[in-house]
Formats: sequence, structure tokens, C-alpha cells
Amino acid sequence: MSEKRISMVEKSNNKRQRVNQVPKFSINDHHDVLVEILRRLDGPSLCSAACVCRLWSAVARNDSIWEELCFRQVSPRPSLSLRSVVSALGGYRCLYFFCIRPVLARLPKLRWTRDQLQLSLSLYCVHYYERLYVGAWLGDAPPAPPSSLMFLRKPVNVV
Amino acid sequence: MKRDLHQFQGRLSNHNHGTSSSPSSLPISKDKMMMVKKEEDGGNMDDELLAVLGYKVRSSEMAEVALKLEQLETMMGNVQEDGLSHLATDTVHYNPSELYSWLDNMLSELNPPPAGSNGLDPILPSPDSFLTTVAGDSSTITSIGGFPPSDYDLKVIPGNAIYHQNQFPAIDSSSSSNNQNKRLKSCSSPDSMVTSTSTASQIGGVIGTTVTTTTTTAAESTRAVILVDSQENGVRLVHALMACAEAIQQNNLTLAEALVKQIGCLAVSQAGAMRKVATYFAEALARRIYRLSPPQNQIDHSLSDTLQMHFYETCPYLKFAHFTANQAILEAFEGKKRVHVIDFSMNQGLQWPALMQALALREGGPPTFRLTGIGPPAPDNSDHLHDVGCKLAQLAEVIHVEFEYRGFVANSLADLDASMLELRPSETEAVAVNSVFELHKLLGRPGGIEKVLGVVKQIKPVIFTVVEQESNHNGPVFLDRFTESLHYYSTLFDSLEGVPSSQDKVMSEVYLGKQICNLVACEGPDRVERHETLSQWGNRFGSSGFAPAHLGSNAFKQASMLLSVYNSGQGYRVEENNGCLMLGWHTRPLITTSAWKLSAAH
Repeated sequence: MSEKRISMVEKSNNKRQRVNQVPKFSINDHHDVLVEILRRLDGPSLCSAACVCRLWSAVARNDSIWEELCFRQVSPRPSLSLRSVVSALGGYRCLYFFCIRPVLARLPKLRWTRDQLQLSLSLYCVHYYERLYVGAWLGDAPPAPPSSLMFLRKPVNVV
Repeated sequence: MKRDLHQFQGRLSNHNHGTSSSPSSLPISKDKMMMVKKEEDGGNMDDELLAVLGYKVRSSEMAEVALKLEQLETMMGNVQEDGLSHLATDTVHYNPSELYSWLDNMLSELNPPPAGSNGLDPILPSPDSFLTTVAGDSSTITSIGGFPPSDYDLKVIPGNAIYHQNQFPAIDSSSSSNNQNKRLKSCSSPDSMVTSTSTASQIGGVIGTTVTTTTTTAAESTRAVILVDSQENGVRLVHALMACAEAIQQNNLTLAEALVKQIGCLAVSQAGAMRKVATYFAEALARRIYRLSPPQNQIDHSLSDTLQMHFYETCPYLKFAHFTANQAILEAFEGKKRVHVIDFSMNQGLQWPALMQALALREGGPPTFRLTGIGPPAPDNSDHLHDVGCKLAQLAEVIHVEFEYRGFVANSLADLDASMLELRPSETEAVAVNSVFELHKLLGRPGGIEKVLGVVKQIKPVIFTVVEQESNHNGPVFLDRFTESLHYYSTLFDSLEGVPSSQDKVMSEVYLGKQICNLVACEGPDRVERHETLSQWGNRFGSSGFAPAHLGSNAFKQASMLLSVYNSGQGYRVEENNGCLMLGWHTRPLITTSAWKLSAAH
């Protein structure tokens, strides 16, 4: 590897001597390429990638990346109407964080099929509905944030 | 001193000459003996089990025997001089078959505090001989014999001595409070007619545990240090609860009152689920005894709504109910373009977002969804059903489902009429009726359930989903209801134990506690928590013209998945029973979802 590098550097040095300006390729300049790469990552890697820098964090908010992550193992691919529903409910990224990741963390051997997805969607929908309640509160003190998905997040005490 | 001894020995020799088991032969005129004579009529039979072992104790006297043994034990503990303390260890057993009268003898001698009884021959029975009567664990529930406490003063013991103590440590304690606890325990158990070896073992247990410590600490404090076995406590607690319920059943309210106080003390010494269950049941029993109506029965609906919301979040029962019912409704609505759901249990409308989302994503696009919600009036006259409808409409708009909503306020489901519901002809609209934990409330009113089932038939739904608790809390006998509900709610609280403590959990427990209170303390139309089992409901529906519709495997899969996420699925079990799904904790089914359609004849 190091030899290759040395030879590359030599070549580039040579090149530079010949040509003044060599276009360097920086991934940060090409967001669409970055998105394509991120789409192929798995969950943990994607989350780490989103923490690299502000730019990558912003790019990682692109919902199509998370959609890909959610549906990678699901076949047949769900219809497009799903996309509108999910984005209306808060997007795939939130779906992943609230519903899918905790389930996978708790049941790592779970095969992610349509049924699990359907369940996650139902729970996600209930969660959205509960947030409507919170949003509409007009009383003195705001109630606690909706916690119907708390059972996914909190650690369990196995009885 | 010596005279005392001679008197004592003389009395004992009376016993040894094989006198009949009647206390009147003894020239003692203590109050307690008089009382025994009064009670001679009832329970003249010697207790069989102790008789086998050679003791003659009459069943009616069991309680007093135990109490006296307890007093004896504490007295021995109180003794400062060596003279009596050694009695606890090396003793010779002189025909204690006349247990009752002999004990009374002992106590009447010892009761004026024994001043220097040096030289008393060891005439007390060896504790080992008692211990040999100890059987294994006693899990049977003993039934109560009807002996009147009269001036027996069960109330005195759990008086100030208990109540001014602030906190009972759960396990070991060096305070006198535990002594009191032990005394209470041995009081409570002998209230039962012995049908198992439980009482014997408890007496033996009491003596066994205390005497050993007496020897070591006789020189020290006046009270023995006792390690309280909380498992023993648990058993005693259950026995006390059953005994109290039986006392109420037989209208023996003074005894019930005393027992309720004991239960309160015992419950505090427990931990976890048992403690909470016992506390709620004790409160409910107290309300029944003192005829206090439970606070705000059906009035504060918004509070019960909030509590139900917390219950929804803490444990999977409501989620299971909603998801399985939704699955059944979804399958029944397959291919229909206009659907209408009539919900008898509107509350916060938590069931419907999931159904709407499933309808939105189904093949062929979402149908027009119409929802009619029925609920009780809100206390502050706010249109809470209207608010729920607005939220659901918001959600429907977001997920692009055509939505129509109507809310009905009704004090009871039986007030409904099919004509009010504005049903459209069944060719255009498919109707489903849903009821989650609502139908059992109608069983208190005569004719209520029949009327509602009649209305449902008029509606002609394609499916009628019913979720109910799986337990019979509607029997005619109070004691049976009490026993059933004790088991049911113990299981339910056990399942909550795995949830990390939070405000949600506390509220869920309050929610269940209110049910317990209504079940135990109320009667007649006030008692709304009249749960019945699936087979009972099945008979009812069958005779009203409904046939079971089997829930498909999809519902089962969804339910199993949901539960595997809760607490990693440990403990919760989904079972299928004749096409109905039951969710249970370990082996005990707790709630059942069933679906019904109109039978072919109708």
C-alpha cells in the first residue's frame, strides 16, 4: 500500500510539475455522490457518518437514505403511497430512531419483514397521534411528552 | 414460691390422671376459661390433625391455644432470671394432650410476672415436640370457623403498638414491631378451621422461630430479635385476606374489621406486587365493611381516561387489544369502499390511528372511513368526544384518508338505539362494531346486555370485535368473586413488576386499583366491573344470534411481535383459543380478543 502511495505521490508531483492545477476530488463537493454512498450503509455506520461533521450531518438528514435503510430487507418493496404517509408522520429518519432501531436493539436476530414494518408503522402512527394531543394542550402546564413508545426506549428489567 | 409450684404441679397431675377434656374440672375461674365454656357448644370436635399427633385441642379453641402459646413465648422471653429461661431449652414433655387447659394453666400462673421461679421443674413441653408437627408449606386456603371474638380483644393488639410505628422493615428487624407482627400472624391463622396442616405448622413455626432466639437473648432485651420470613408473611397475608372475605361473606363484620387491620400491617411488610395488591384489596374490603362508597364512582371520567392512557403506555394489554381488534376489522373490511366503525369505547381514540394508517396503506387505496364514537358524558360538560374527533381528523388529513366523525354521549350503552346512529344501507357501507372493556359494565343492569346486543344486530355489522378481561368476577357469591379477583389482579400486578418505575406505572396501578375497589366494595348497579370469561360471553353471544369469526394468523403474528418487544417477551404469552386470542402472563390468560358475526339464521 505504502509503495503505491509513494508512486502516486510521485506521479502527482510529476503531474503538478507539468500542469499547474490538478482538480482534486473531494467528496464534500459532491453531495449526491455522498448520498449514494450513505444509502448503502447499515444503521450504526450511518449514524456514525451523521456525526462526522456538520455538512455530513445535514446530508444525512436526507430522508431517502433512511428509507433505504428501513426497506433494504423488505421485499416486495412497499408502494409509493407509503412514502407520503411516513413523511407526513415525521419521516423515515424518525421512524428509524423511534421504532425500528429500538426493536432491532432488543431483538437483534429479528428478520425484518413486512410484518415488523407494519407493526412499526402502527406504533409510529400512534406516537404521532399522541403528539397531536401534546401540541393541542391549552392548559397551565404542558403534559408529559407522549410516551407510548417509551417501552421501546427504556431499559427493561427482566423479571 | 414453693406453694405456687405445688399448686402448679397439683394441677398438672390432675391432667396426668387422664381427665376428660373439659375445663370445668379445674378449679380456675379465669375469664378466659369462662369464655371457653361459652364456646364449647360450637366446635366440640377435637382437631383431627393434632389428635393424630396426640394433642387434644378443640377446633374452637385453636385460636386461643395459639394466642396463648404466643403469650407464653413472649413471657418466656421476658424472663430475666435463669430459672425460666432454661425451660425453653431442656424441657420434658408431660402429656400436654390437654393442650388448651394446660396452657391456660401455665399462663394463669405466669401472668402475674414470674418472680424468681428458681427451682421450678421443667414442665413445659419441649419445643421440639411442637416442631415435629410442622408440616411442609401450606398453600391451601383455609376456611373460617365461626367463632365469635366477643371480648377477645383482637383489636387491642394491633392498636397503638402497631400504628405509632412508622415503618416496618421488610425483612429483619430488631424492633418490637415485629414481635407484634408475629403475634398478629398467629392470631389470624387460627381463625380458620383447620383443614390442612397449615395451622399446626404455623403454631410450630411461631414457637420454633421464637424460642431459639429467646435462649440467646433472654439475658439481653425484653423482646426477642426475630428474623421475619417474608415468604411466611406472604402466605399469612393471603390467608388473612381470604379469612376477611369469608367473614364478610358470613356477615361477621367485627371479625372482618379486625382482620382488615391485620392485613394492613401485614401488607406493609411485603414488597413489590404483593404489597400493592394487598393494599388495594385491603382498602376495598375496608370500604365494604364500613360501607363507604368509593370516591367518585363513574363521575370523573376524565381522570379515568388519563389513567387508562397511562395504562396503555405501561403495559401491552390495551395495545394488544387494539392491534388484534384492528386486524380483525381490517380483514373484514377487505375490498369495501366505504367503511364505518362504531366504537363503544371511545375514550381517547387510541385504537384508530393504527387502523387508519393500515387502511391508508392497503392495496387499492384507502376507503372512506367513518367513525362513530360513543362515550359517557364528561364531568365539566366539555365536548371531549368532539376533541378526539378533531385530532383523528387531523391525522386522517395527514395520511390522506377521507374521514367522517360523529360523537355520541350516552350514560350507558343501553341507552343507545340503532336509529340514532344514522346508518346507511349496507350495500354502500360496511359497518364494524368495536367494544374494548365496555360490555361487562352492562351486566349490572337487568336487560342491559340484551338490549345492546339487539342494537348490534340491528346494525348488521360485518364484524363485532369484543375485548374483555378473562376472569369470572360476576359470580353470585362474594367469596368466589373475591378469590378470583385476588388471583387475577395478583397476576396483573406481577406482570407490571418488570416495568421500570415511573409515573406511568403508578398511574396504571391506580387504574387497576379503582377496578379492584369497585369489584370488592360495591354491590348492585354500582358494581360495574363484572368481568366474565370467554366461554360465558360466547354462550351469551351464541344465544343472541352471533357466531364466532376466527381471528386470522396475521393477528396472532402481530400480537406475538408486539409482545416480543415488550420486556423481550418474557412472561407474556399469546394463545389462540377457538379462534380468539388470549394474552396472558405466564400460564394465566388475562384478556381475550374475540370477533363475532351475525349467524346465518339471522
